[in-house]
Amino acid sequence: MGFQGDFFQLLKDQGYQFDIPTPRFGEHGQGALPPITQGTTVLALKYRDGVLVAGDRRATAGNMIMYDRTDKVLEIDRYCVMAIAGVPATAFEMARVLEHSFKYFRRSQLQDLSFEGKLRALSKLMKENAPAALAGTGAVVPVFAGYDHQHGCGKIYFHDILGAEFEAVDHAVSGSGSSIIRGIFHYLNRWSGQPIAGLDEEEASIIVLRLLASAAEFDSATGGANIESNLYPIIKRITEKGVETIPAEQLKTLFTTKVAQYV
Amino acid sequence: MYDEPYRWVEAVGNRRQYLDEQFRQGSPLVAVSYVDGIVLLTTSHGTLKLYEIYDRIGLGGMGHPADLEKLRFSILDMAHTEGFQRSPGDVTGSRLIKYGMAPAIKQAFEEIYKAPYITKLLLAELGNLPNQDNFYTVDYDGTFEEHHEVAVLGATPKSQDTMRAYLKEHVTPTMATLQSVLEVAVRAWALGALSQIQDNENSDSSSSENKETQASNDSISEEQILEHLQNGLKDKTLECAVLERQAPGSSKYRTIVQQDIHSLLPFLHPTTN
Repeated sequence: MGFQGDFFQLLKDQGYQFDIPTPRFGEHGQGALPPITQGTTVLALKYRDGVLVAGDRRATAGNMIMYDRTDKVLEIDRYCVMAIAGVPATAFEMARVLEHSFKYFRRSQLQDLSFEGKLRALSKLMKENAPAALAGTGAVVPVFAGYDHQHGCGKIYFHDILGAEFEAVDHAVSGSGSSIIRGIFHYLNRWSGQPIAGLDEEEASIIVLRLLASAAEFDSATGGANIESNLYPIIKRITEKGVETIPAEQLKTLFTTKVAQYV
Repeated sequence: MYDEPYRWVEAVGNRRQYLDEQFRQGSPLVAVSYVDGIVLLTTSHGTLKLYEIYDRIGLGGMGHPADLEKLRFSILDMAHTEGFQRSPGDVTGSRLIKYGMAPAIKQAFEEIYKAPYITKLLLAELGNLPNQDNFYTVDYDGTFEEHHEVAVLGATPKSQDTMRAYLKEHVTPTMATLQSVLEVAVRAWALGALSQIQDNENSDSSSSENKETQASNDSISEEQILEHLQNGLKDKTLECAVLERQAPGSSKYRTIVQQDIHSLLPFLHPTTN
């Protein structure tokens, strides 16, 4: 019978190759690695009703801004998202494989893949991608968050570039702006008198917008909100009902009243 | 012995007889397109007969569960690799049936040293508007047909014609609620099931009696339908699924749970109310 409902295996049987062996640049006198497009800061945090996952909109290649409308918070299915920092080419492909894998499992096995099964599927892809990650051409550092129906709660996991998974207690951050966010998060959680896990959706969204604004302030690769172009970070909430995107209009109001002109 | 052409024709003929026999006890399948989507309805003995295939595609079948599973897996593989390697928009019912299912079923049917697939398939494809909904049916010999608005599977041609005629008469383009569509679909199903029973009786009885029963065939009354629905369903599960046009996300297929079927079709369970 073999291993049932495995879409990735099916693709491989048909000749699909996820990781294309990459030569190490510099080894044969080819010079330094050319600048590769990178997605930057993403974060996930637990609040009263579930999990918020957010990301700025910038993609950079070296000093250049490639794109300022990137959506790095990728909805894999109704109950989980993968927020990506690192090489978008690899990350988007991973998201596509995962999306099809979860659907294929549900449709063929007539039951939903468990949250742990989904997590494992991502780890497997990360492992396949290890050579490209080490060569510097395909490193992806995702934050995976979703609603676990078996345990009745939202969960957050983060990964290193080789695919090791770590469960986050209250938050996870990835990308170039992450050290800034981690510092502020730690401070707020510990000394603000209001642990983030107890905040409601609006309060938590304000924190997320402020954290990303701070990252944009100090990290050139993280994009800030662009009021003229009506561009705000992407924030998605994950609750028992599934994944929902917080509308841009709502973010605009919060941003203008609570982030841009506050105090 | 099948080397000679006429033997082969004879063998295929025998095969038809054998297969027709296999479907006699099968449950018909009804599919109706309406404003909010597509409804699929049949009955089963525990094993499912309605399946999600792709984002906008559902499948129903009659026949042997093992054959159905085998074909279902190959259509799933085809749809998902296509959707991944190209795009979900390139996964169409027409391609899945014409280049996937139909040739495979035809080949199995004509390879007379091997077992044929004991299945009839109905594939429903949801469009953006009701007039873009498509249905494809494949018979056990690989013959496929394309339908719009309504489609059915039944054991006999007469059963299929009866159901189709009933649906064409009672399904109106303005049907807006799932409940109203289900009420018509479940009656069409009962009509098909009763028609199959009559066909079975006719083929069992001698040819002289045949003519008399044939005459009474045309009128199956509303009472008979209700009676069949209330009594005939006792040892079976009524199975319904919808492809919902306005469902959020990419997957539009949803199974209607038993509890909801009960509340949508209360007349099926007069004693429990």
